[in-house]
Amino acid sequence: MSTIWYGLKQGVKSIFQNKIFSLAAIGTITACLFLLGVFYVLFSNFQHMVHNAESTVAIVVFFEESLSQDRIDEIGRQIQACHPVEKVEFVSGGEAWERFKQEMLGSDQELIDTFGSDNPLAASASYEVYLNDVSKQAEMVEYIRGLSGVRKVNGSANTADSFSSFNMLIGYVSISIIALLLLVSIFLISSAVAMGINVRKDEIAIMKLIGATDLFVRLPFLVEGVTMGLIGAGIPLGILRLMYGQVIVFIRAHFANLTEWLTFVEAEKEFQVLVPLCLGVGIGIGLLGSATSVRKHLQV
Amino acid sequence: MDNREPAIIRLEKVNMIYPSGTVALRNCSLEIEKGEFAFIVGSSGSGKSTLIKTLLGEVSTTSGCVEVAGRNLSEMTRKQLPYYRRKLGVVFQEFRLLDELTVFENVALAQRVVGVSRERRRRNSMAVLDLVGLAQKKKAYPRELSGGEQQRAAIARAMVNKPAILLADEPTGNLDPENSWEIMGLLEDVHQLGTTVLVVTHNDDIVNKMQKRVIALHKGQIINDEQQGGYVQ
Repeated sequence: MSTIWYGLKQGVKSIFQNKIFSLAAIGTITACLFLLGVFYVLFSNFQHMVHNAESTVAIVVFFEESLSQDRIDEIGRQIQACHPVEKVEFVSGGEAWERFKQEMLGSDQELIDTFGSDNPLAASASYEVYLNDVSKQAEMVEYIRGLSGVRKVNGSANTADSFSSFNMLIGYVSISIIALLLLVSIFLISSAVAMGINVRKDEIAIMKLIGATDLFVRLPFLVEGVTMGLIGAGIPLGILRLMYGQVIVFIRAHFANLTEWLTFVEAEKEFQVLVPLCLGVGIGIGLLGSATSVRKHLQV
Repeated sequence: MDNREPAIIRLEKVNMIYPSGTVALRNCSLEIEKGEFAFIVGSSGSGKSTLIKTLLGEVSTTSGCVEVAGRNLSEMTRKQLPYYRRKLGVVFQEFRLLDELTVFENVALAQRVVGVSRERRRRNSMAVLDLVGLAQKKKAYPRELSGGEQQRAAIARAMVNKPAILLADEPTGNLDPENSWEIMGLLEDVHQLGTTVLVVTHNDDIVNKMQKRVIALHKGQIINDEQQGGYVQ
């Protein structure tokens, strides 16, 4: 207990005693974790936007003429029961004609009037099937085609494939950048801690020669590393939290025409992942940096 | 029947060769009894410091047997080493006090390392500072002390855990003659308290006047071992 208390006290004390080294180490962790946080935020928001865009890609299912409403409902239940399906929307012939008029005929009232009360799409009732994961679209199209009573299935294979590829690309690029940043931070912290420990190698040697155990010598350095890791993680988290909402407001204000595409992860949800991630990485690199640097000086 | 206690330090046919190929100790055998005071003398590179490092467990011998306070050092694991070192007190030529700690804190650190409670730490550290005549300077930092005072603080640190053996590596090497004699007087006091004292030195005046056992090394070999001896070049 006395050793732990001593380690805690000495660890915190030496942060203040070696101010320049401590500031350099905290600054390094802060810079690395800030970049890590920025990339994570970009990554998660890109994923969020892509996922939102994915959900607009629908499979359209048309039925054989004179198919009973009961069978249409049954097909709807069968499709809904499939795992990748997020939602199934029924579009009646009347709704289909209304949509067509709005999207294709627009304001040409004269042309619309020529149809009178006729509905050329009366037999074009359909289901619009939205998926959780567009990469499963081809599989789903194949399945729906096999259902009895289904006349035609329209998928958009190219759009789905593009989204899947884009999503994967963002994932790979982000993971590579984050991994690179982690390696750089571990290297920088380890060098910064090593410099600090080098100055104190005589102190370590003396403690070892008067009978200190490795734990007794190591503990203050580990406490120092963890404390600097926590501070170095807390600062970028605070900055990112302050910036996040403001950046979103800025983007929405300046890119209003893209509002449909620019959807963002809620700050609370974002930081539920980012806080433990940054604190964990901060503590991890603090621990790893000090443990590796102090080890070679313990061989006395 | 031999009623003698076993030697507190025993070296038997010890050889120590550094990885560079330098032979530091060559077939050294010696025994030092409990409560003895002995000088180890010899020119630079004779193996004196390697002998102290061997006894501290800082370096391992290439062959032979080293037993200290009943423990065979070649059989000792890394984890056992700190506990073994707590039986030794060590004093260096360059004092090696921690600059950012006060005299009291430097001495108390040795007690903290072995897990002594706060109150006992304070009592023991003050008692030993009193013994070396530094009680009044307990709040001073090493940089505020003279060389002789720093060495006295180092001796206090070495003695606070009441070690069975005190190893002093050139304890007067950085001191003027007056301070050197003060330090030797202090080491003699420590010896009088029953501690085994082993002093590595170059100081022929001190060795000749103190008339203690003198073990002389030359190129890693023990060339002379004499009770109440004089300095051997």
